[in-house]
Amino acid sequence: MYNKHTLLFALFFLLPFFSMAQDCTVTISGQITDLSTEEPISYATIFLKEVSKGAISDSSGFFLLSDICPGNYHLDISHIGCETTELYLEISQDTSLIVRMDHNAQLLDEVIVSGAHSKTSSQEVQALNEKSISENTDQNLANMLDNISGVSTLRNGNGISKPIIHGLYGNRITILNNGITQNGQQWGIDHSPEIDPLVANKITVIKGVGVLEYQGNSLGSVILVEPNKIENEPHIHGKARYFFESNGLGNGLNLQFQQHNKKIAWRAVGTLKKSGDKRSPDYFLRNTGSAEANIALQLEKQFSESWNSDIYFSSFNTRLGILRGSHIGNLTDLEEALNQDQPFFTEPDFAYAIEAPSQQVNHQLLKVHTQYFIGSNQWIDFSYAGQLDLRKEYDVRRSGRSDEPALSLKQFSNFLEAKYQGDFRFGLKVKTGIQLSRIANTNIPETGVLPLIPDYINYKTGVFGILSKKSEKLFFELGGRFDYQDRRIAAISISLPREIVRYNTKFQNLSTSGGIVYNPIPTIKLAANIGLASRNPEINELYSNGLHQGVSGIEEGNPDLFQEKSFKTTFSFEGRFGKKLFFESLVYYQSISDYIFLAPQDEFRLTIRGAFPVFKYEQTDAQIYGLDLSTTFQVSDKLQAALKYSYIKGLDQTNNIPLIFMPPGNIFTALNYQIPKVDNIQNLEFQINNKWVFEQGNLLPFQDYSPAPPAYNLLGAKISAEKQFSKTRLNIYLKVDNILNVSYRDYLNRQRYFADDLGVNFILGINMQF
Amino acid sequence: MRQINRSFISALLFVCLLSSCKEDIPKDPVIPNEEELITTLYLNLMPGTGQLVTLSFEDLDGAGGAAPIIKGGTLAPNTTYEGILTLFNELEDPVGDISVEIEDEALDHQFFFQTDIPGLDVSYNDQDSEGNPIGLRTIISTPDSGSSGTLTITLRHEPDKDATGVSEGDISNAGGETDIQVTFEIDVQ
Repeated sequence: MYNKHTLLFALFFLLPFFSMAQDCTVTISGQITDLSTEEPISYATIFLKEVSKGAISDSSGFFLLSDICPGNYHLDISHIGCETTELYLEISQDTSLIVRMDHNAQLLDEVIVSGAHSKTSSQEVQALNEKSISENTDQNLANMLDNISGVSTLRNGNGISKPIIHGLYGNRITILNNGITQNGQQWGIDHSPEIDPLVANKITVIKGVGVLEYQGNSLGSVILVEPNKIENEPHIHGKARYFFESNGLGNGLNLQFQQHNKKIAWRAVGTLKKSGDKRSPDYFLRNTGSAEANIALQLEKQFSESWNSDIYFSSFNTRLGILRGSHIGNLTDLEEALNQDQPFFTEPDFAYAIEAPSQQVNHQLLKVHTQYFIGSNQWIDFSYAGQLDLRKEYDVRRSGRSDEPALSLKQFSNFLEAKYQGDFRFGLKVKTGIQLSRIANTNIPETGVLPLIPDYINYKTGVFGILSKKSEKLFFELGGRFDYQDRRIAAISISLPREIVRYNTKFQNLSTSGGIVYNPIPTIKLAANIGLASRNPEINELYSNGLHQGVSGIEEGNPDLFQEKSFKTTFSFEGRFGKKLFFESLVYYQSISDYIFLAPQDEFRLTIRGAFPVFKYEQTDAQIYGLDLSTTFQVSDKLQAALKYSYIKGLDQTNNIPLIFMPPGNIFTALNYQIPKVDNIQNLEFQINNKWVFEQGNLLPFQDYSPAPPAYNLLGAKISAEKQFSKTRLNIYLKVDNILNVSYRDYLNRQRYFADDLGVNFILGINMQF
Repeated sequence: MRQINRSFISALLFVCLLSSCKEDIPKDPVIPNEEELITTLYLNLMPGTGQLVTLSFEDLDGAGGAAPIIKGGTLAPNTTYEGILTLFNELEDPVGDISVEIEDEALDHQFFFQTDIPGLDVSYNDQDSEGNPIGLRTIISTPDSGSSGTLTITLRHEPDKDATGVSEGDISNAGGETDIQVTFEIDVQ
């Protein structure tokens, strides 16, 4: 993966011309063209910050700034919808530039997040760019990704959400935080990824068949959260992003500073967020507030032409309230809750306070990376990463014990990687590496409750190799990966007397994938992919045992589970027809043998809290297939229409019943009206959007406590504008979600048993770049 | 110096990792003191004259694991019993008396009694500081004629004691979450 700014820099050529110019008679001229079509971009704004001098590109994309004194300047180039490009120039003579902007991606903007037209992978890649991250600062990672077709969110209220890609979530997908596999407690259905998306400049979803390069359990898809390399820019620059939202009276502030001085390049990012009780159309959702405080530090040092190193540290800290009315004691309580018009414990007043039930998560990551070039076309990467994850979950308990966590887990992981890459003649590329990791998971003995999952130490060793070849119209890719996992477990018995039971499991995983991309013409891309991957049973699937109050059931792990094996194939077709129509389509089919799932048993177990249904982890053969479609139509210069559709179906083939937690189909439409310039205001944009979510009809009555909620429709709108001050660029937006304040419940939100989803929400955001 | 030591230890750890050392196993986990668990419930029924009746529910290993042992009882017709509920955590050593915890947090707890035996009447014989019932102490009177059925005892945590009917023992509007729900077989003869 390359990041956007290196791309922009690589595609930006400085063509110096010799000139006799002295004093303040220098000119900066240039042409702005579209990255993919090479067509000129007109009406782009060019702005030389130091002297507040501006120009607009003409119909051939040309611009001219004259009477400039020699010196060092910051040049901003912006175009409607595009991410603003900032260049640092040391001007001593007349200078001519060619700037290529990624106009294809901006065409769709965050309405439809378009694939970066990467030819370096045959896997389907979709990304959120910096603009869409900046204009969704109110969202957490999963909710942000919800904009991408084929990606849904499994939620436990609004604050706790995890991404579902092509029907798979949790341990079946891998999340990479700055290139490092995120190690946390992702087995939990109500555990959000422990990452602040605002530290990233780009968030990418690879809707693939098996990404071989990364250590993880992925049966297909991968999410990459990536900060940029620090731009080569000697002055301190930064960003300030603030939002306010009416629903929950939430506030958030994100600050970034960076500098690339002669000695070292550095960046510091900090985020603070706080919000109180959210509101459904008819009532407050008591105890649904959240608070977050994160920092990230990045240091980069170029030691020589062939040697550079970087250090990255991030700290993510959050406290999340869980709807008070969703805390239930037994099945009778659940049945009562299902029949309530509004949840128990609903209060007439808004509050910021977070009480039990709640979660507190702290995640720290330290990464040290160094890169050596062997010649110009081969290089070696070494990385070390350490992660410390602390998770505490609080329940409503007796005698003041609500302040003691009912679950308290510490996970410490270490990761070491050596990677080799080489670019050879005839477009041949080789990538290979070895990865080692150790994860130690410990229950902190402060809960007074039998642990839900046992303590363990997990060793994993993996090697991979990928070979690819690129020619003018074709790209091939083939790779393999082998992993060996050794897990040592120390559990506490359920039977009396309580004693320690030890297990040792060893697994081997072999994965392989291959793909081909064909570009018959530059604007059309066809890609096909096939992959085999396997996933080892996760700790909760093997050993969880006991009452899971949140789901009102007794969950029994099965120590005899074996690996699940997946075969997935994808076929994608994307491109543009003329200048008007852009589209992306992807069909996929995945078959998973020995798919592990929680099966309801024909059995109720009596406890002092009453009788509970029993669920056991079982294995079956499953298949998942679906379609993701996105398209934009340029109605006129200023008006665009966008449409996204995704459909997915999952089947338990052995029992011939549907798979649960499959996202229902949905259609997203949007109209975007853009005005490049009105007086001093730039990039004025109006958007109206609509999301229709179908009812999940593919569910049998015994598979759930209540039937899937009916279809719903959400209307939204957004206005955004930009203004350039001498050294600062200002972007202001106003979004409205659920304008009509409709009451609805979402199948993938586990709190749908208890309460309606969120009502209308106004979000005002201010982003400053200086 | 300490930091250097630490990095040295982590380096060692990786050498260990490379050789996948056999000795690196999790330490013995601390077996928690499950002090909040309710393993045992007794309802002692004392008539003015006659035989003491004890209904009991025992699930010593907590939820899951072995099945609980439930003992119902036989009540005499046309008799008034004084009921005393006691709750224990027998996993604790010494045995924890949960009834004391309930009494201390009386405002946040209430027991409910439901039966399908016609004429079997349960009324509260205690109250919290706001004058609402708790249910640790009750008066139970039996019908004139013999019959059999069940008695279900429910303990709600943080119920809305002011909701309609709740202080009279009607559970429908109580809300809160269930901490105990046990059902006993009862014969009146």
